Amino acid sequence: MSTLVKVARYHLVQPYQYLIVPWGILAFAFAVSLATIAMTPSGHAAALTLHGLSPVAKVRYTGSLSSFFIFFFVLGVQSIGRSLPFGLALGVSRRSFYAGTALLAAVLACASGLVFAGLQAIEVATDGWGTRMGFFRVPYLLAGPWYLTWLSSFVGLTLLYVYGMWFGIAYRRWGLLGTIAFIAAQVTALLATGALVSVAHGWTGVGRFFTHLTAAGLTGLLAVLAVALLAGGQATIRRATV
Amino acid sequence: MRPAISVTGLTRRYRDHVALEEVSAQIEEGSICGLLGRNGAGKTTLLRILAGQEFPSSGVVRVLGAPPAENEDVLRRMVFIREDQAYPDFKVGHALRAASWFYPNWDGELAGQLMADFGLRPNKAIKRLSRGMRSALGIAIGIAARADVTLFDEPYAGLDAVARQIFYDRLLADYAERPRTILLSTHLIDEAAALFERVVVIDRGRVVLDAAADGLRGVATTVSGPVLAVDDFTTGRPVWNRRRLGSQASVVTVGQLDEAARAKARALGLDLVPLTLQQLVVHAAGWPGAPETANLEGVSA
Repeated sequence: MSTLVKVARYHLVQPYQYLIVPWGILAFAFAVSLATIAMTPSGHAAALTLHGLSPVAKVRYTGSLSSFFIFFFVLGVQSIGRSLPFGLALGVSRRSFYAGTALLAAVLACASGLVFAGLQAIEVATDGWGTRMGFFRVPYLLAGPWYLTWLSSFVGLTLLYVYGMWFGIAYRRWGLLGTIAFIAAQVTALLATGALVSVAHGWTGVGRFFTHLTAAGLTGLLAVLAVALLAGGQATIRRATV
Repeated sequence: MRPAISVTGLTRRYRDHVALEEVSAQIEEGSICGLLGRNGAGKTTLLRILAGQEFPSSGVVRVLGAPPAENEDVLRRMVFIREDQAYPDFKVGHALRAASWFYPNWDGELAGQLMADFGLRPNKAIKRLSRGMRSALGIAIGIAARADVTLFDEPYAGLDAVARQIFYDRLLADYAERPRTILLSTHLIDEAAALFERVVVIDRGRVVLDAAADGLRGVATTVSGPVLAVDDFTTGRPVWNRRRLGSQASVVTVGQLDEAARAKARALGLDLVPLTLQQLVVHAAGWPGAPETANLEGVSA
């Protein structure tokens, strides 16, 4: 068994956190959304019916799927904060721990994306679970064919997990003040980019770029960002101590 | 024999203090070595560097012939059990199962036996364990891993005397069956003294004593009796500590006493009591006004 697979199994030896909690959160979010939608008749539809017009079938989006994505970020943070010290005590190198953990995240993100795509298909077929709810459909982001839903979810989940890992590593290596500086550096980099665009009078171009960006294009961009974050975390964990 | 652990000029500086300063030591393969010293002396930092968990500021570290940091060929042959080990959200059984995957020589039967000895239940959450039980878990992993290099940092904090005896017995029994290099840091020196073939004492980040345990027996002696007789006996001998109570005096002399010296002491009506390892360590490290370690240099093997 390769060390990377052992590291992935190490995270799953207590399956609760990775295999049960996220789906529990999702099921709860789904139940709450469904109950809320069922109890609140669409205002538009009611008004239209009142005026003798036939209501247009309008999907009501909840956005609650984001809870699952946010939890992946939390898992990424905890993979370092809670699991790294004992991992190193078991004689794993930082390099292998990092790669094995990222591998686990990618596999879980890939599988979760497939589940989302399947549930999205059911959602479409049942007209939003009989309530026109858009839970597994998100305008623009998850609104295409099944394979794009799968790919975008896969990339998005991996990105958030990897970003969380980098936060966990930054905290372990530099402490609270260092983590604040880490956040400040990111904000500063964003502002600096914005300032550069302003100086170059490039906002029109940027606006055009984003208005023409498809969901698939955005997924590609996020994939590039995920790889960059992965490299950043890799560089930071090299000198992390426990 | 080639050294299993070798450090040369090892220094670890933190922003406000020096944890290790120019530490050099070699520990032979197949021996049990005690790493002794006061709180904050640098024992844990040294062990963390050996285990690749911390990085040296300067100096050379070799474990099993190679630098340990990020070196999996070395790391997988080494186990490091520390007092303050942080565990994930695991139950006892999870930690043992994970350990069994990573150590090539893992002995599951032995792990089970140790669990039974200590009364550890696999379905108990680690964060709910008492301090002593957490230590017991570390000990079970450390012994059952059967790693070529086994590092224990204060492994039995919070353990009762019976459980500590179990630890010594099991460790020695398994060591006899499968010799390996064991480096053990502890405060309970006299209790563990019988285990050690070698002791390394560090104080304020420096090695102050590095000697074979055998060579330390009788290396210093407390001489007590009437003041005049004690003075007569100790004249010309290196002395560590002199105490006087009325007409009685008690003096610690350094150096082995030959038969002639013993005969003289008997004739003078003096009591001779050899210093225990613990007393030696107290003198070598940290005891206010302790003499320079030069006195012990002749002892170091």
